[in-house]
Amino acid sequence: MSGWRDLRSGWLVLALALFFGAALAGVHRLLAARIAANVLHETLSQIPALVPGADGGAPVDIRGRTVYRAEAAGRTLGWVVPSGGQGFADRIDLLIGLDADGSTLTGLYILGQKETPGLGNKIIEEPWRGQFRGKSTGQPLVVKKGDPSSGNEIRSVTGATISAESVCGIVNQTVAEMQAALAQATREEPDR
Amino acid sequence: MSGIAAPEASPGPRLEVSPGPHIARAGLTTRRMMLDVLIALAPVTAVSIYLFRWHAILQIAIGVLGCSLFELLFARMRGRPSPLGDLSAAVTGLILALSLPWSAPWYVGLVGSLVAVGIGKVVFGGLGQNIFNPAMVGRAFVMVCFPAALGAAAYQMAGDGAAIVTQATPLTAAKQLGQSAPLWPLLVGTVNGSLGETSALGCLLGGIYLCLRRTAAWRIPLGIIAAAALLGGIQNLAAPAAGWTVLHHLAGGALLFGAFFIATDPVTSPLTPRGMWIYGIGIGAMVMFLRAYSGYPEGVVAAVLLLNGATPLIDRFTIPRPVGGPVPARR
Amino acid sequence: MSAHQPTAAERFLQGIIPENPIYRQLLGLCPTLAVTNGMRAAMTMAGATAFVLICASVLTSLIRGLLKPHLRILVFTLTIAAFVTIADRFLAAYMYAMSKQLGPYIPLIIVNCIIISRCEVCSSKQGVFTAAADAGGVSLGFALALASIATVREILGAGTWFGLRVMPAVWPDWVVMVLPPGAFLTLGLLLGGANWIRAAREKRRGASRAA
Repeated sequence: MSGWRDLRSGWLVLALALFFGAALAGVHRLLAARIAANVLHETLSQIPALVPGADGGAPVDIRGRTVYRAEAAGRTLGWVVPSGGQGFADRIDLLIGLDADGSTLTGLYILGQKETPGLGNKIIEEPWRGQFRGKSTGQPLVVKKGDPSSGNEIRSVTGATISAESVCGIVNQTVAEMQAALAQATREEPDR
Repeated sequence: MSGIAAPEASPGPRLEVSPGPHIARAGLTTRRMMLDVLIALAPVTAVSIYLFRWHAILQIAIGVLGCSLFELLFARMRGRPSPLGDLSAAVTGLILALSLPWSAPWYVGLVGSLVAVGIGKVVFGGLGQNIFNPAMVGRAFVMVCFPAALGAAAYQMAGDGAAIVTQATPLTAAKQLGQSAPLWPLLVGTVNGSLGETSALGCLLGGIYLCLRRTAAWRIPLGIIAAAALLGGIQNLAAPAAGWTVLHHLAGGALLFGAFFIATDPVTSPLTPRGMWIYGIGIGAMVMFLRAYSGYPEGVVAAVLLLNGATPLIDRFTIPRPVGGPVPARR
Repeated sequence: MSAHQPTAAERFLQGIIPENPIYRQLLGLCPTLAVTNGMRAAMTMAGATAFVLICASVLTSLIRGLLKPHLRILVFTLTIAAFVTIADRFLAAYMYAMSKQLGPYIPLIIVNCIIISRCEVCSSKQGVFTAAADAGGVSLGFALALASIATVREILGAGTWFGLRVMPAVWPDWVVMVLPPGAFLTLGLLLGGANWIRAAREKRRGASRAA
């Protein structure tokens, strides 16, 4: 029986596989909670900056997307919505802060991007992304070269119009998709 | 091997085997070809100096002196005699400088020269051995290296040159704002842009001189222009409202400058007539493709480098049939 | 097989410079190109690789008497994969930001040829102490090579070293150096430099022998 012989000659592989499997299960048991906390913390730690006044938050599922409820003393102050889309070089991942009824942007944070260093990656800097704070979501935001003149305009990034427009596009789309659902979720809260 | 006679006994013409540029006519030297290129570049150089004043003079001085300096330095390192006499470093430096925006800081030209001569030419073994056009290697390097100094915004910096220098370049305006440009300034060259690319007539004048002197192979620029005209025509028919016509495509940007002075580099372009057509049409099509679909307004640098890379393959596929039919296979 | 098996000290010293995995053997070039745009990422990669290499070498050496020739590669891969997964999880737990930055390149240590070549060449044939010394030397050589490339790229490309500013504020960052093309250019030029030094040294040695 050649099958039996193969199995016998492979006993070391099988034994090692079992041993390593057990070892990895142990490592996973040891570290899984910590890793999950790291992932969650990355978003949660941004909530106070994205929704002013909030001191914490919790993930919630709304319309099949995970969003974060920004809370202070158990009341919903606003929402943090993870989103993303194509930038100039690669995908741009964002956290968008909105107030409780989704009518105003309260902040923007860039989780990940690979835009051109020195040009497009200026989108991660506070002076640029800070412009989104306080913008109304009533009408879509547009990128303007030079100084913005009206309420829904965002100053472009010099030499990287595409990066700036990508971020604006992602924000507009996310707001359009989520605003109504977020406002409804706030209204349906029991303590309101 | 036994059937081949010893070289001393073989009659007939002596065939020189040497790296490019391949020179068949007596009296035609590398130095004379390079001098021809310098003469042909005189009109666009003059236009650039008229438009951008001392900015242009500074860029050209940095490019030419930088390339010559690094050429000398690398020759010294390799224990070779000074190669400056063949003027190829001066040509590389001038083309590099003419491809830069007027506002580029001094180190852009210097780093560009270092890379053009060092990585574009010397690492391959020197003039004639390089795969890619040295000036374009330098230009591509600084373009990726200093995006802030060479992007569309760099062309529009406020300065003390002529009033031209604060407008967007015609291609950027067309791409980002959808604005067309009047044709006459594009031809004469009173528009913003890289130093040497602004004047279509200047490029034509120098280019025709090069082709008449047979320093440049006429098939290459003709192929580029034909391909660009065809694709530009299709684009024009598809969107006639854009106002950016075939002539705009040809006269705007660096197409003519690239077609006559960069793509025709005898070292990095195909040797066979059919190969030259393929190469030229390939560059023209690639430029139009990049202008239409890439994030950059212009695509001459990338198109030339890509087709440079394809040149050995093109030459291999287009070996001309010898007179009297192909050589029969040896048993 | 051969009459002379290198000793532990020889193995250790050979791995650092004379048989440097990057500059002499041209192995493990994927992480060398991918994670050398900054010293922090490069040194984390060097550390993770050293952990996997030393652990896998010691374990392979311990079980070398049980290895069947036709199954040895399978055993090496299994061993390496297990330690890589451990390293990956530890980074995700304790250095989360770095783990995110290195992305797929930590799991890709599994296919790093340096490790499997040390298993094949040394640890499956020699004792535990020699295997550990060999792994340590090669790890050091790998770390030195990564450091040399990352130093050039980070200083030219970002004006910093380990994130600390070393160039004057007017230094224009050579952005291309921290992008992928910069990795190829730097590695190519440093390799050329290393070969040039080696050739010059051999020439001098030959000349002194002839004299």
